[in-house]
Amino acid sequence: MSAPNRNVTHAMFAIQRTFPQSPARVFRAFADPKAKAKWFHGPAEEWSQETSEMDFRIGGRERSVGQLHSDAIPHVFNAIYQDIVADQRIVFSYDMEIGAQRISVSLTTIELSPEGEGTRMLFTEQGAYLDGYDDAGARERGTRGLLDQLARSLMD
Amino acid sequence: MSDHSVAHGTFVIDREFAHPVGKVFAAWSDPKRKSKWFGDPNNPPKVFEFKPGGRESSSGQIPNGPMFEFDVTYQDIVPDNRIVYSYDMHMDGRKISVSLAAIEFAPTKTGTKIRMTEYGLFLDGLDNMEQRKAGTLSLIGALGAYLDKA
Repeated sequence: MSAPNRNVTHAMFAIQRTFPQSPARVFRAFADPKAKAKWFHGPAEEWSQETSEMDFRIGGRERSVGQLHSDAIPHVFNAIYQDIVADQRIVFSYDMEIGAQRISVSLTTIELSPEGEGTRMLFTEQGAYLDGYDDAGARERGTRGLLDQLARSLMD
Repeated sequence: MSDHSVAHGTFVIDREFAHPVGKVFAAWSDPKRKSKWFGDPNNPPKVFEFKPGGRESSSGQIPNGPMFEFDVTYQDIVPDNRIVYSYDMHMDGRKISVSLAAIEFAPTKTGTKIRMTEYGLFLDGLDNMEQRKAGTLSLIGALGAYLDKA
């Protein structure tokens, strides 16, 4: 084989969370670029966000570039929105690059439903992790960190 | 709250072809070759951009049946090695699914092994994993027949 180190590992994770805010408020944290910029980034003390462009509609794309202060290597998030139902569902696929390496391609589904005064979120992600640069465990931990940042942003 | 539902499903198909990996890969990468086994020969893709970030878009009608639209975003391509893409399907204008698919190609002593791994979200009860797997198996059968003739 020309590139014997090439490989694809498929894995899924699912996260359930509840938020005290309404589905409309939680949805807005994904749909509104200003609201999303408050939580969708790397760990605040260690991160420089360079680019955040999003076109939140079906078929629209998003591109976010940032880097850790420690290594100054660009982390690139490229997404395409594939299904959106206001206040209920967001489906997008995305790939991640670190430096020149594409490390993963993923399909994410976020389902929102009312629970009391608040919101239940089911976050499901299937990933194709490329060439051993990342894995589902690390991605799930990263996603849980992002959802913690989302939860804090909702309190503003 | 609504009839908006999402059913998650996954399947894997392994197949070996008695053809070199370059030929099997080209059946996906070259629009002329792909049109010989994939989709409606009377409705070639309106868009075919085989590169990371590129799109493919085609539509076709089942005789006396529904109109299907197929829209791809290619996300990772390694020549003769793998193709990773996401796609969605519409039936008569309604979105029925969004899927992530990976095709891995590996040379064998006598040809090429492919592994297709697909993960699908089947929306609002309009399609399901069993039907998609059956459809994909039928496509892979068509690919095999095309490769044997080409």
